[in-house]
Amino acid sequence: MPSGTTLIVILVLFSAALIGVLVARPGVTATRGGKILAFLVLFFLPILCGAMGISSEMERSKTTAFCLSCHTMEAYGKSLYVDDPSHIPAAHFQNHRVPAEEACYTCHTDYAMFGTLKVKLDGLRHVYIYYLGTPPAPENIKLYEPYNNRECLHCHLGARSFEEGATHTADPATLPAIKSNQLSCLSSGCHDVVHDISHLKDAKFWKEKN
Amino acid sequence: MPTINPMAWRLQISGTFLVIGLLIEAICLLSAKPIAFVLLVAIGGLFLFAGVTVYLFSIVSTPRS
Repeated sequence: MPSGTTLIVILVLFSAALIGVLVARPGVTATRGGKILAFLVLFFLPILCGAMGISSEMERSKTTAFCLSCHTMEAYGKSLYVDDPSHIPAAHFQNHRVPAEEACYTCHTDYAMFGTLKVKLDGLRHVYIYYLGTPPAPENIKLYEPYNNRECLHCHLGARSFEEGATHTADPATLPAIKSNQLSCLSSGCHDVVHDISHLKDAKFWKEKN
Repeated sequence: MPTINPMAWRLQISGTFLVIGLLIEAICLLSAKPIAFVLLVAIGGLFLFAGVTVYLFSIVSTPRS
């Protein structure tokens, strides 16, 4: 558990203990000092703890470990270790082109306005289906919308390897088409090998050195 | 039979809600599962909101002695 979360848990338990004292002895609020204490303990601290807890959980929900904690996602987590540079998620994860501890979120968030909120609502839908519905088989999981180049361009736009890449510049119409999302980065023949989980059993895997 | 001070009674209700909400929050923070996130926001948040609301109601509704 991260040390920040530990501190929040300690603060939460300390607050609960203080509130417990007030519940057991409400008479202490009769004095002026008691009223100030009650305000701090029954208003300020719970709001502070709630805000810190939700903020901590929001950050944790971006982690790769969080996404892969659902059984359905196991194969997708495994696909990050495929030893083949043509596998785009694996190459990004293994070479730290995305933060390894936030790999899923970095590529699958929505870099538009309110994008984080949108993906969190999608996440709530996933939780609902996982616990109360029938989760699809991993190989049947599809994106809600076709993958938007905006998510790739969030990092690659302006990068030399992207702007001056031989394939990207061979045809002058290619780069504008990519930038306007008319030509998908994942088009056939381009970067089309993503989480190829149906062929995982034949894949060779990279072992991370500790 | 002792009479119960309405202010004290409301503070106790508020405090009970808050303790429940905070304990739910503490338990959820110890788990990294997605369900913990939902429980923290939905159930823990609801108890905290209820506790703070009852406290605020208690301080505005009790006449000055």
